[in-house]
Amino acid sequence: MKILYFAQLKETLGKDQDIIQLKSEISVKELIKELILKGGKYKECFEQMKNLRCAVNCEYITNYNKSLKNKDEIAFFPPVTGG
Amino acid sequence: MKVFFQKKKIVFHSKLNEFSLKNKFSGSISSFLGKVRPYRDKKKINFLEIELYKKMAYFQADKNLKKILSKIQIDDFMIIHRYGKLFPGENIILVLVASQHRKDGLIFTKKSVEWFKKEITFWKKENFQLHSSWVKSEYE
Repeated sequence: MKILYFAQLKETLGKDQDIIQLKSEISVKELIKELILKGGKYKECFEQMKNLRCAVNCEYITNYNKSLKNKDEIAFFPPVTGG
Repeated sequence: MKVFFQKKKIVFHSKLNEFSLKNKFSGSISSFLGKVRPYRDKKKINFLEIELYKKMAYFQADKNLKKILSKIQIDDFMIIHRYGKLFPGENIILVLVASQHRKDGLIFTKKSVEWFKKEITFWKKENFQLHSSWVKSEYE
């Protein structure tokens, strides 16, 4: 599964994406927990999810119980500033 | 899809001319041209950097423009938005709309510009003389 990061989040993590292989479906909430467990900058960024938005396959999501599959693309980013 | 995200400059007069010729039987051509401002709170902006989530920007633009189009009647439209490095005074967004009557063209122009200005998955970073900072979202 592809995990994308944008703007300030990308700068803080020092990367624009991670690719992970899921053994089975997990929820967005569980993925965020996994990211926090990585520690360091990940912990710093994902512990405060209120400052981040999340989209799965280009659709905003607010229900973090949504389950994710390997073919999904999930993105985390700060609120957009628009054009 | 008539939405384009590009790094290269927008040449307004040639795009307008091209679009007008393409829609020569439309009764009106409405346009909006957005430009990069040179100052923020009296601080001089050297340049602007725009980052985008392109795939989501196309997806969301398509979805939202279809919603606007379901309520009005226009002949054609074209929206170009730049990303990457932009300098003050440069064109940042161009919206062109062809319609039989001006009212629908102007409504589409206004609604599409408002949507792009607030909702498109873009992030702007302003670079000043001594520092740079991300533009704060209206939703923060």
